[in-house]
Amino acid sequence: MDQSTRRKFLATCLGAIAAAGGGATLYPVYKYLAPGKGDEGLAKTTFPESEVPAGGAKFFSFRGEAGVVIRNKSGKLVAFSAVCTHLGCIVQWEKEKQDFLCPCHAGRYSMDGVVIAGPPPRPLPKLAVKVANGIITIG
Amino acid sequence: MIFVKRIYEWIEVRLGVKELVEKNLTGYLLPRNINFWYSMGSIILFIFAVQVVTGMLLLIYYVPDADKAYSSVTAIMNRVPFGWLIRTCHAIGSSMMVLFLLLHMLSVMFMGSYKRPRELNWLSGFILFSLVQVICLTGYLLPWSQLSFWATTVATNSIGAIPLVGQFIVEFLRGGKLVGPPTLGRFFTLHVAVIPVLIASVVGVHLFLLERIGVSKPPFGLDNTKNRWQGDAFRYDEHTGGIPFFPNYILQDMTSIAIYFSLFAAVVFFCPGIFFPNDAFIQANPFQTPAHIKPEWYFLANYQTLKLFPNEFIGLSIQGAAMTFLALLPFIDWGNEKHPLKRPLFMVCAIGGILLYIGLSIWGHYS
Repeated sequence: MDQSTRRKFLATCLGAIAAAGGGATLYPVYKYLAPGKGDEGLAKTTFPESEVPAGGAKFFSFRGEAGVVIRNKSGKLVAFSAVCTHLGCIVQWEKEKQDFLCPCHAGRYSMDGVVIAGPPPRPLPKLAVKVANGIITIG
Repeated sequence: MIFVKRIYEWIEVRLGVKELVEKNLTGYLLPRNINFWYSMGSIILFIFAVQVVTGMLLLIYYVPDADKAYSSVTAIMNRVPFGWLIRTCHAIGSSMMVLFLLLHMLSVMFMGSYKRPRELNWLSGFILFSLVQVICLTGYLLPWSQLSFWATTVATNSIGAIPLVGQFIVEFLRGGKLVGPPTLGRFFTLHVAVIPVLIASVVGVHLFLLERIGVSKPPFGLDNTKNRWQGDAFRYDEHTGGIPFFPNYILQDMTSIAIYFSLFAAVVFFCPGIFFPNDAFIQANPFQTPAHIKPEWYFLANYQTLKLFPNEFIGLSIQGAAMTFLALLPFIDWGNEKHPLKRPLFMVCAIGGILLYIGLSIWGHYS
């Protein structure tokens, strides 16, 4: 084996060992830093029905995000993601006007989550909501 | 490749990289008889870097609050992916840093490298050693376990033996009469902000001195083992005909770091509990002192010395005198001879001191 081939072979081996070592160091660090899935990935959120007054709203945490459930005038419960589709601020429920306002850039959504004014590009995503024995289950 | 070459040329005309590389790497010559012990500093720098990185990673999940500190460390160990690895590396790394600092100091002592004109190198190294002990002590409290809590109580309490100001210093350090939540805040700040900056600064000074004065010549394999410093004017300690730092000695540095890393990994993976006694896994209880609380291995000799003397102040004074003697060694040992076998008094004192330190540590461990 001539000198340059041997040098090339050793350099390749050294490079491979260094790459393996780098990988073995970086992988645990990446896993350590990566956001944990936790238990909330598939979790459902529950709370008593009495916490949502007629015409009012209740905000809650759902799968790591903010959600809101409102009771419309006919008494029906509707739940949405509370994250504004414009730049991610949390919308506020305006009880008098019966609509959602995003205070960041004055985006406005109807009580059905449809955009009625301002910059939001999409309606608020709906969340599944069930009521049984006085308990509201989201998800 | 042409693009890379162009970038290199762009930087070269602005910074003169070629000249820098020649001055500090390929043209930086070391004595031909340089040995393995000269790579201790690089190993310690590597350990310090690992400590900084793992410490930063731990800060992401650690909560410096007396009510949450223990549970946050438990979560790091049990719930966070690879949290056990990061924490174990940090905890074992601290012991390794002290161990290799001791080895570095011993090699410098035996090769007479602390002798003039390198008194400041030794002093800055001694300051680094002291700072590392303080950073270890402050970090020890942070997990808020029974071991942390009571080892800190004992360690801070001994300062109270200093006449007149002792009690004031203890309370000032603790932030109260006893170790408690205010102590955690103080030690946390010292551990993550104050001392690391001090260590980094003194490392900078230490390296500057090394670069400015030049590497010392080991006394082994030479006919003339006398110190060649003339003392009339500053001269860079040149090693004409020596071996270049890059690529020759850096290969030795990398080899030493690889050997160290193997040892470190062996401890982390095969004896991770070596520095964690049972009390490290119980949350701190300020109303229940555990039996036989012991400090970390590097404080065992100090701990046993304090126990040997009925008067704590005498014990503390003896330790202070020993540390002062060590710090001022280059100013006390004035001889020109560097070879350890040609320095019988030094050899007796050094070996006696090492045996005493080991003996006291073992005694402290089993007492």
